[in-house]
Amino acid sequence: MNDKIIAYITDNLLYEQLDDPLTADENLLESGLIDSLGIMKLVVFIESEFEVAIPPEDMTIENFMTVNHIKEYLMLGK
Amino acid sequence: MIFSLVDIVSLNSRKFPGKDAFRFLSSALTHSELEEKSNKLAKHLKDKGVKRGFRVGIYMNRCLESAIAVYGILKAGGCYVPLDPAAPIERSRFVLEDCNIKHLVTTKNQSRKIKKLLATTTEVDCLIGCELEDMPWSFSWEDIFKLSLKDYRALQIMEQDLAYILYTSGSTGTPKGIMHTHYSALNYAKLVVDQYQFDTSDVLGSTAPLHFDMSTFGYFAAPLAGATCTLISDMHLKMPTSLVDFLKKSKITAWYSVPLILIQLLQTGLLKNEDFDTLKWVLFAGEVFPTKHLRSLMGIWKGKTFGNVYGPTEVNQCTFYNLRTAPKSDAPIPIGRVWKNTEYKILDENDKEVSEGQPGLLVIRSGTMMKGYWNNPELTKALLYQETIVPGANAVYYRTGDLVQLNTQGELLFLGRKDRQIKIRGFRIEIDEVENTLLRIADVAEVAVVVNQNNDEKVLMATVLPRDNRALDVGEIYLFCKLHLPPYAVPEQIEIWKEFPRTGTGKIDRKAIAHKLTFSKYER
Repeated sequence: MNDKIIAYITDNLLYEQLDDPLTADENLLESGLIDSLGIMKLVVFIESEFEVAIPPEDMTIENFMTVNHIKEYLMLGK
Repeated sequence: MIFSLVDIVSLNSRKFPGKDAFRFLSSALTHSELEEKSNKLAKHLKDKGVKRGFRVGIYMNRCLESAIAVYGILKAGGCYVPLDPAAPIERSRFVLEDCNIKHLVTTKNQSRKIKKLLATTTEVDCLIGCELEDMPWSFSWEDIFKLSLKDYRALQIMEQDLAYILYTSGSTGTPKGIMHTHYSALNYAKLVVDQYQFDTSDVLGSTAPLHFDMSTFGYFAAPLAGATCTLISDMHLKMPTSLVDFLKKSKITAWYSVPLILIQLLQTGLLKNEDFDTLKWVLFAGEVFPTKHLRSLMGIWKGKTFGNVYGPTEVNQCTFYNLRTAPKSDAPIPIGRVWKNTEYKILDENDKEVSEGQPGLLVIRSGTMMKGYWNNPELTKALLYQETIVPGANAVYYRTGDLVQLNTQGELLFLGRKDRQIKIRGFRIEIDEVENTLLRIADVAEVAVVVNQNNDEKVLMATVLPRDNRALDVGEIYLFCKLHLPPYAVPEQIEIWKEFPRTGTGKIDRKAIAHKLTFSKYER
């Protein structure tokens, strides 16, 4: 799950190419890696890839700060 | 008396030493802490060679250190130049070199990008806020805060001194720097406090990054009112649900952002469940707020005053339009009337005033006006309109390039641009800059960049023609854009075409291209 999300972010959403690969505990929201439009695209990707519906009330910093947070959120939901 | 921006901080530290000047997430900086810490930064900058008028870069996201950086640089006599950490390294390097930035202030969490940036240029020789290995000229914030102020002497700052330079999109393909002085910035802050009647009980919510002119609201107007400025984190802006929660807890009394953030808050559907009783003012600027969304928001946030704010970066703000009740129709709301110490004219193409109610180009003269464009007296001259009232004392207006019209109530209506400048998410983009960037790719012969409307969002799209039928790769073009343009100016969609639709005179028919792009493929 982590790999799929990291691959999607790396291929589609990053501002620029990174020297080191993106890690699962890197802050996606603060570091200036992805803009707000990118976050919306990530949510759409996760919904279709993992066949889940993410309601607006779940779109929080706690659930989306890092790839690990996203994974934890998805595991709890299922 | 207050004559410069730095006087605000010194006065506040005496009047309200223990009151919060700035807040960020769960931490805060009092007025006395801001005074002391910015003095320490000023002392260090002066020791490292900063003199009056020196440009000092700020490379960080919103955080408490950003306020210390702004006032520390100003106290050292410097002029701060905010760099966007989300911008490509190449663009930041250009700004550093364009205005000769020797001193750069940053934070530890930017270290990866700072290393990359410093590898591309030898301009910088003093780094503050991030200590790096093998760089004896880099200093941590702890180093600065440890300094003693025993023999520190404040520099006399003059209102004519440069305060900051904001870089914005330039149609030639490189960004241009807009210079503001303590005088113009302080005029802006005074007008904000006067117009919206802010006082020490207010908490102003600031959402704009430092490189965006809307940031002066939080960094200058809030301290002038003796109010508290809450700097809202990027994390909250990217996660509207968390932002709703933050807004509820932070007791903000005046909000200021681009319309998009308010629309995102509205679209969470969570606003109606909460009570935002401290909020009095909801101000927005940067682009047009679609009236239907404004009406929905006003239906939920009853009893608050909404304010449409207008003004190009060159003059900060110049008009206001306040609403207590929601507009009845979907017609765009006016940009309103000019505020105090400000005058305007509406001119035709020959610089003649249009007759009342006719559309024309808006020119503004105000105490908030810029000094000019950095290192570009020709452009400065071209964009100023001079009128001789008394010989030797010309009235100098800024040509906004915005088409406006007076309605029957004497309010200004914004009709559009005379050139190809657009706003996306509040950011100013010259379409010519995007096209000129694409034309730097060797195998690209011609380009057409157009803007399409996708629901409420404007979307930038590009079509390119290859040179001599050479093979072009969309991925590579996209990457080139990402390396040279800020994220908001990178086209969402890029297509390689074999030919362009043309008008009768052979010009590229951009309208036809925009139409084709909308109705062929683009669906979301």
